[in-house]
Amino acid sequence: MNTQVSPIPLADAAAEDRLAVAITDVARQSPDRVAIVAGAGGEASRSIDYATLAAAIVKLEAALDSVRPLGVVARAKRVESLVAIAAACGRQHVPVAFLAEDARDLVGELRDWVTVDDALVVPVDPTAARREFEAVATQVVVATSGTSGPPKLVEHSWDSLLAAARLAEQWHGLGWILVYDATRWAGMQVWLQALLTGGRLIVPASRDPDVVLRSIVDEQAAVLPATPTLLRRLFSAGDRGLLARAKVERITLGGEAADGPLLEQARAAFPGAKVTQVYATTELGEVFRVADGLPGFPANWLGRSLPGGARLGMRRDGELLVQLSRDTAEVATGDLVERRGGRYEFTGRRSDVIVVGGAKVFPRRVEDLLRSVPGIADVRVYGMPSAITGELVAAEVVLTDPLPADGTPESVRAAALAACRAGLEPHGVPRILDFVKKIATNPAGKVPRRAS
Amino acid sequence: MKSPSDPLLEAIAVAIRQVLRDTGREARPVEPGMSLAADLGLDSLDLAQTIVLLERVLGSDPFRAAAAGPERVPVRTVADLAAAYRRPAAAGNSPTEI
Repeated sequence: MNTQVSPIPLADAAAEDRLAVAITDVARQSPDRVAIVAGAGGEASRSIDYATLAAAIVKLEAALDSVRPLGVVARAKRVESLVAIAAACGRQHVPVAFLAEDARDLVGELRDWVTVDDALVVPVDPTAARREFEAVATQVVVATSGTSGPPKLVEHSWDSLLAAARLAEQWHGLGWILVYDATRWAGMQVWLQALLTGGRLIVPASRDPDVVLRSIVDEQAAVLPATPTLLRRLFSAGDRGLLARAKVERITLGGEAADGPLLEQARAAFPGAKVTQVYATTELGEVFRVADGLPGFPANWLGRSLPGGARLGMRRDGELLVQLSRDTAEVATGDLVERRGGRYEFTGRRSDVIVVGGAKVFPRRVEDLLRSVPGIADVRVYGMPSAITGELVAAEVVLTDPLPADGTPESVRAAALAACRAGLEPHGVPRILDFVKKIATNPAGKVPRRAS
Repeated sequence: MKSPSDPLLEAIAVAIRQVLRDTGREARPVEPGMSLAADLGLDSLDLAQTIVLLERVLGSDPFRAAAAGPERVPVRTVADLAAAYRRPAAAGNSPTEI
């Protein structure tokens, strides 16, 4: 186990310097302290200590200082390389871009930037334009997840990139599981948080539920940031024994709305763990957190200034609006909310709505209903194109193993459709219902809503 | 074409019976001369489902091409539906030829 490190002197550091300062400081105090466990829960895991990480940053900084590129596109596969590139570019005031696999085509927008991969070499082109060290803070470019629409590049300042990081001492030295793609906003938030606070970043070898659970158990992870889809998969497909041994202290859900039953399952599976739901987007960063374990957010938050300064509003059609501060414009989020008692709950993304013969269907409502049917472990509802009705509601269903007593796939299918007929408008009832071994997720760890 | 052992008609009958069962109705014999709406009680959603089910068995959806054409294909009976699938794709799926 890592011993505790004394507080890292981040308060005085400019935002763009903080990652390099934090890593260097921990490396000085305890060089062997593990920073990253890569391939965790798999055959060949490897540990990278803080001293190694700090050395890589120093070396890359020297290269950046001599070449002074206009910007750096981080194209590394290893998380430790991404961390080193971010830290070095930050402290050297070189703009840096993180492009996830599905956003690689956008590199054309970053003309004349150089690419740095796992070799951590800055290519030298004597004819290329140089960008001398400027006092102004440089930007970080991140691609949106493309869950609803093609990925696009978003520019952030280091201040906004680090705005959600928890630096108080209670957050120091924890083990963080990284199930997100390290090049996306959500993933970056996890590795930044872990390495700004002398923590361990635990990167599972894959997103397979058993590999993730084994990583939690083997590496004694304390914090599990995940999408509701990824968390649900741990419960529906993970090994029971491993699940019982996995003890996390915190679960941070983001990327999608969490429903009540999932939050209950999380409480049952990880007793004592604090479950926080984070509402954040790649464009806006973190807007608010809900820590009371209930779905959605309190209704009286609407129209009020929240901690952090954001103000929430709602369009007449239920779309959530966010105004980050008094000086910024109100932004339509694409997320639809609905009042239920004292809460506003998320009903889905505007772009997820399935239109069947002109009538709207919220896939989440159908999914929630299907999940309550005995014999169903997991489900995805999506729109299937139809020449007759525009779209049809289609569902992929993962059966529980074992099935309930006397249950057969056909009886579960009949029960599922009957439950939908009883609880939904006729056009909302799935017309196509397929049994699958597992539900596919997109690279952001969310469930895709259109037929592929 | 109207022989009961016709594999296309059989596939259509199987698909329609599944649609009826899935929607909580009684699965019944399906004959080529039956009207999809009046005799079998199928609405546009039922027809859309039937066509997806058939695409999975037959590998084609003649209505996807037809919908892009100048006119909608009139499909009133089970036999009309079969006719839409019988036209070879190479002949062009222009709805006016049906």
